[in-house]
Amino acid sequence: MPRVIGPIRPRPRWVELRLLLLVAAALAVGSISLNATVNGEFRLYDAQGILIYVAGLLVAHLAQVLAGRRTDQILLPTAGMLGGISLLLMERLPQDLVTQSFFGTTLSLAEVQLLWLLIALGIATTLGIVVRSDSWLRRYKYTWAAAGVALLLLTFVFGTEVNGQRLTLDLGPISGQPSELLKVILVVFLAGYLSENRALLVEQDTRVGPLRLPPLPYLAPMVVMWAIALGIVVIQRDLGAALLFFGVFLAMLYVATGRFSLVVIGLILFVLGSALMATLFATIRTRVDIWLDPFSDPLGSGFQVVQALHAFARGGLLGVGLGAGLPEIGGRPPIPAVHTDFPLAALGEELGLLGVVAILGLFLVVVERGMRIGAAAADDFRSLLAVGLALVIGIQAFTIAAGNLKVLPLTGVTLPFISYGGSSLLANAVIIGLLLALSDKGVEPPPPPRVGSSRRWFGRGAAR
Amino acid sequence: MDGFLIVVWAVRLLFLGLIYLFLARVIAALLRDLRAAAREPGDRPGRLVVLASPGGEPPAGQSFGLDVITALGRDVNNAIVIDDPFASAEHAVLTYRGRSWYLEDLGSTNGSYVNGRRVEGVSPVGFGDELQIGQVRMRLERAATR
Repeated sequence: MPRVIGPIRPRPRWVELRLLLLVAAALAVGSISLNATVNGEFRLYDAQGILIYVAGLLVAHLAQVLAGRRTDQILLPTAGMLGGISLLLMERLPQDLVTQSFFGTTLSLAEVQLLWLLIALGIATTLGIVVRSDSWLRRYKYTWAAAGVALLLLTFVFGTEVNGQRLTLDLGPISGQPSELLKVILVVFLAGYLSENRALLVEQDTRVGPLRLPPLPYLAPMVVMWAIALGIVVIQRDLGAALLFFGVFLAMLYVATGRFSLVVIGLILFVLGSALMATLFATIRTRVDIWLDPFSDPLGSGFQVVQALHAFARGGLLGVGLGAGLPEIGGRPPIPAVHTDFPLAALGEELGLLGVVAILGLFLVVVERGMRIGAAAADDFRSLLAVGLALVIGIQAFTIAAGNLKVLPLTGVTLPFISYGGSSLLANAVIIGLLLALSDKGVEPPPPPRVGSSRRWFGRGAAR
Repeated sequence: MDGFLIVVWAVRLLFLGLIYLFLARVIAALLRDLRAAAREPGDRPGRLVVLASPGGEPPAGQSFGLDVITALGRDVNNAIVIDDPFASAEHAVLTYRGRSWYLEDLGSTNGSYVNGRRVEGVSPVGFGDELQIGQVRMRLERAATR
């Protein structure tokens, strides 16, 4: 049913504007701090980059004001702050870590990151303004799932191997990591599946010893999910994505059913799977060994983690200041892959414990917004979608932060909004955009009735 | 310690301070939002919105706040009176138990339907589901939080 949208009236967003001005001030001071340390001048470091980024934030704000939707006003500044910190970090790292040529012009690390940040801002804002209905997600959940699996298979077949992990898909001049986008698709599918079958998962019981389980057929997707996660590990050697997917799945299952027994079973499956993988594959066993004792081989396999721990230790409480950390030893950054996997270690060195805690706090704010948007949503699908999307960011940030700090074995996922990389920024931009759209308190088309949602499992697929 | 170094350190700490000021502002906004949500009379577990009602009672578009137990039927003693020739006097009960809604048909003549499927005994219902009693169609919705 097409909805008639009334004349679009601009609606001021003062909370967002005030927070964005604070972000601009913080970034300016950070930039000056960086320049003072590196060049001894009290001026903006790479003024052009910072100004373009702040202008991008303000344009995004203005576009939302003009669109006049009553969407969340905290997500954009929070993500914007994280992106700004990312920009400062990329400006400060050796610029030749990454160079990319677009149509004749060669861009360095910070320039490429700035470009992706602006594209991400554009995507998040556009989704937040344009998306007014969720039926394109809700109705085609199996199509989305199929697209996700196809994407995964494409990477299996045509992917190029980087560091022994087959994650990257080359498309002409740009290459991308589909697993980043896959996590969004996974949440969309799970939200659709769980909201449709929630009632049945909650209601019935199968007793296995002391555990009360939902009817066994409904556990099948759980086993399938587990198998897919293991498959990702086996074929792609991508521990991070597997951990993220399974974690998000368990969290959403718990949110949908409120059954702790399911989480317990999931965790048992997870431990069994991990043990199996660790005995079967040497690479995973190495990861665990590094985690248990990186100092046994500090110059070899444990090098990355040991350097990261030293960086955190050098940082102390207040940090050594932006630009004053050890940028490079012999022309190479001391931590391999610092811009993708270890940005938190670099920030820990330069901003100290206080800086790291603040960054984790910013992630917590994003998760809180997701939970609130989910709690206020009109129906189960939107609730689960909002909560799932926020949890993707939360769990991913936790996984890599814990990996950097040697709390968990290191897995190669990116730190959302901060790590260098287009795929990661785009996927997280989609998440922020969808959360913005879901938070709208004004226009809210009622969801179409889900006819036959309580049909039995063997009848699924026939309807619609 | 020379003056330059002191100023550099001041700028560094100002950067950290501004990040924390931002966090404090955000958290203040979150708390305001939570308090506003808590002040709303949102303790009802849900509401029932009438989608279609050929008899005009209840009128289409009306929204009923639900209690933990809500009786529906043609009799005036029901919490939600459905004045429809195809509804029984004591037709069905909608209950909220644990974290979930359930619709129980009380042996009505023409039955109760969830998403077009006839309810036998007790059936779980989720937010967004469509209930039909007699010719009256209603949708279960989360209580508006704002």
